[in-house]
Amino acid sequence: MRAFGYEIDELVVDHVLLAVVPVLLGLVIALPLGWWAHRSRGARRVLVPLSGALYTIPSLALIVFIPVLLATPILSPLNVLVTLTIYAVALLVRSVAEALDSVSDTVTTAAVAVGYRPTGLLLGVQLPLAVPVLTAGVRVASVTTFSMVTVGALVGVQSLGTLMTDGFQQDYTAMVVTGIVGSIALAFVFDALWLGLGRSLTPWSRARAGV
Amino acid sequence: MIEFRDVGKRFADGTVGLESLSLTAREGEITVLVGPSGCGKTTSLRTVNRMVEPTSGSVHLAGQDVAEADPALLRRGIGYVIQQAGLFPHRRVIDNVATVPVLQGLPRREARARAAEVLERVGLDGAMAQRWPAQLSGGQQQRVGVARALAGDAPVLLMDEPFSAVDPVVRVELQDELLRLQADLGKTILFVTHDIDEAIRLGDRVAVLRVGGRLAQFAPPDELLAAPVDDFVSGFVGRDRGYRRLGFVPATALRLVDLPTRADENGSSGVPGEWTVLLDGAERPAAWLGPDGARHDLGSVYVTDGADAASDGAGTLRGALDAALSSPAGRGVAVDGAGRYRGGVDTDDVLALLDRGAP
Ligand SMILES: Nc1ncnc2c1ncn2[C@@H]1O[C@H](COP(=O)(O)OP(=O)(O)OP(=O)(O)O)[C@@H](O)[C@H]1O
Ligand SMILES: [Mg+2]
Repeated sequence: MRAFGYEIDELVVDHVLLAVVPVLLGLVIALPLGWWAHRSRGARRVLVPLSGALYTIPSLALIVFIPVLLATPILSPLNVLVTLTIYAVALLVRSVAEALDSVSDTVTTAAVAVGYRPTGLLLGVQLPLAVPVLTAGVRVASVTTFSMVTVGALVGVQSLGTLMTDGFQQDYTAMVVTGIVGSIALAFVFDALWLGLGRSLTPWSRARAGV
Repeated sequence: MIEFRDVGKRFADGTVGLESLSLTAREGEITVLVGPSGCGKTTSLRTVNRMVEPTSGSVHLAGQDVAEADPALLRRGIGYVIQQAGLFPHRRVIDNVATVPVLQGLPRREARARAAEVLERVGLDGAMAQRWPAQLSGGQQQRVGVARALAGDAPVLLMDEPFSAVDPVVRVELQDELLRLQADLGKTILFVTHDIDEAIRLGDRVAVLRVGGRLAQFAPPDELLAAPVDDFVSGFVGRDRGYRRLGFVPATALRLVDLPTRADENGSSGVPGEWTVLLDGAERPAAWLGPDGARHDLGSVYVTDGADAASDGAGTLRGALDAALSSPAGRGVAVDGAGRYRGGVDTDDVLALLDRGAP
């Protein structure tokens, strides 16, 4: 589909990739860090404030600095990916720690008592039970990332944000609005997907006595 | 056999959980640890499966020092039941019970088959198997907790106040169930409670602990009731220990008396001026007929035999006394294990026996 001189489909695909990949990568990185923060008071005291501090760095500054650090070309989408992954990690470390905290001690004690080793305990008991709280954290990270992708357009990395920056330059309101509405709509769609995924992983959480 | 040898535990913050506990839980018996809150019951239980490492002394299981075992493997061979059942909320009942067999390496199908067997054993029907734990009552959850502990075929069970969160009626049911299971399975059970009644009901031997896990007395229940070693123990077993002890005294010397009986039919009238027992078609007492011709409740009946622990007071002086005292007629009704009328219990006879022997 072409509009405003752009292949809109391509912009949508780029936008989704730039938003979803950082959330997934962020989750993979935040899982061990959050687990560490959950286990150790000392680690928590460092990791949680540190990830909070990461979040205060202006996104544009990061996008511009990453090429210097990683020696990537200035226009590479990688810069945006890395930046957004850092933000996702910053948001998710705390979520993972809190999600693991939310699992009842009685249940983890019982799991240890029947003979789970630490890895089995994490994968078989703690993580599955942490899914409801974790899903809430991932949804926040996802919505945030979808809106931040548009910043990449400022340094020439394509997404629906491109419609905003170009439309603004050309004083073309319909183009700007399309960019805004499109990126919000995408954020909503993926929010619903995360919500659905979280629910499908936790049929037990909707079970009530007497059902 | 579980053997505590001078087991001490000082926690990292300096709290002394156990000073020096020495105690042997015999093979195939229920050994109960009872004592006030904070006396170290949970701590001592957890030294057995290494969820707590003693800071001095050692724990031996079937002659082996548990400190030499791999903790996870050790725990798969020891059933553990806790107060809130601690079921895995994200696994259906059947998979909760199958947890240990799966950890032990059994294929899932076989583990489930084993779990289904055990669920049946603890009195849960097949429909429960597919439920989530949140869909069970507290008592049912506790049964599943027991089933999960049994599913690994462990010879040793650790039970930490397993029945204290359920209401008294269900608690007695669960206790009966445990005694029934134990009669079949003969596990070595270490059972923690702070309820002395439960201790006396379930224990082959009862260890009364003071704070710091200091052993105040370790004896079979009747001995504990008959001869508490000190004020702490007698205070703990309670003022009515004399009465409760009657639950361990067989009433073999008690002679039953004859009571007037009539078939319980419409309009049947009793022996004039006497209390008469009405019997149903199967010879089971149904009610008393008063001298005035009105029906009265039987009161509690005295079961003369079938002295399995499930029927409380069967064949004991306590059962006989309860029946005599709770009857409106001044005499209690005695029945056999099948509930058929056997005779009457005269209050004076019971009191005379108490006077005479009080063994
Ligand atoms: N991890 C721990 N760190 C410090 N102190 C502890 C720890 N666990 C238990 N204690 C202390 O050790 C003592 C014995 O505790 P334990 O849990 O064994 O008591 P209990 O007899 O099971 O009590 P309750 O009937 O209340 O369950 C208590 O004073 C308790 O506060
Ligand atoms: Mg305790």
